[in-house]
Amino acid sequence: MLLVLSEEQREHLGCLPRLGDAGKLGVGVDAVQHGVEALTYLLTESSKLAISEIDFQDSVHVLGFSDELNKLLLQLYLDNRKEIRSILSELAPKLPSYHNLEWRLDVQLASRSLRQQIKPAMTIKLHLNQNGDQTAQVLQTDPSTLLHLIQQLEQALGEMKTNHCRRIVRNMK
Amino acid sequence: KKCVISNLSILDDPDLKDIDPAVLKHCHAAAATCILEAGKHKADKSAISTCLEDCKLDRERIEEFCTEYQKNEDALEIILGSIGRSPLHITDVSWRLEYQIKTNQLHKTYQPSYLVTLNVENSDSGSHPDVSFSCTMEQLQDLVGKLKDAAKSLERATQM
Repeated sequence: MLLVLSEEQREHLGCLPRLGDAGKLGVGVDAVQHGVEALTYLLTESSKLAISEIDFQDSVHVLGFSDELNKLLLQLYLDNRKEIRSILSELAPKLPSYHNLEWRLDVQLASRSLRQQIKPAMTIKLHLNQNGDQTAQVLQTDPSTLLHLIQQLEQALGEMKTNHCRRIVRNMK
Repeated sequence: KKCVISNLSILDDPDLKDIDPAVLKHCHAAAATCILEAGKHKADKSAISTCLEDCKLDRERIEEFCTEYQKNEDALEIILGSIGRSPLHITDVSWRLEYQIKTNQLHKTYQPSYLVTLNVENSDSGSHPDVSFSCTMEQLQDLVGKLKDAAKSLERATQM
């Protein structure tokens, strides 16, 4: 897949080779800014689409730069695409995500309403991340529900190993 | 707060219509108090009998009271045990497995993702919005591992 840049962006990128001498040539702030923005677009879009080396080279070749610059741009892309992709993944809409779980086994022995009890309970502190903030929620459950939770979630984990899911994963690549 | 003493429908009971309502209310309150105290301390028949003897009830009435009490003893214990504050109680869990393909910011993400929802109940009001969160396969494995540790410790504790 080839990356398509607009006329404007090509122009801006074309200024890049000359920016090394920006101070001496007195190239305007605008030109520098546009150049940087165009470069950013090039790298971000390439990372977003996860285009291959060859496709990247072909896309850039169309711009008519020198071989040296093309090589430089390719290297820039290869060096940074993983990090760029990781940053872009943070932008997706998200629910709070799991961070950690702490638990504590308690046995209630008495309360104001009833003495001489033996009531086991599992107290759980669930740590979640949302938009950079960490929240912790204290929850409780009884032994039988705990076992039920474990059973249900183990079934969930097992799903990825089924033929159905495996087939989908294979065909998506 | 849960009201253990039911509404005073005894005031409408045809068998009791000749009795002064104020006296009736006092009797009801006294009986209810006695029952709740007995329940709270898990009193046995002899303890209740002694108490009622001190209140100058005759043998026959004490017997009847104790018989009725014993019929409802277990239900009473459950109700009394359920009164009180506790953290949000997890009652159930549901999950969803999805395979992410792309976002508008990032294409070809290709990874499985779980959405887990814990159904929770409030000890006071009953319902409460569920706790939902997403997690990767590794995170879910971590979660399940920790829950299993908790279950193991529970098992060990019951064997002590």
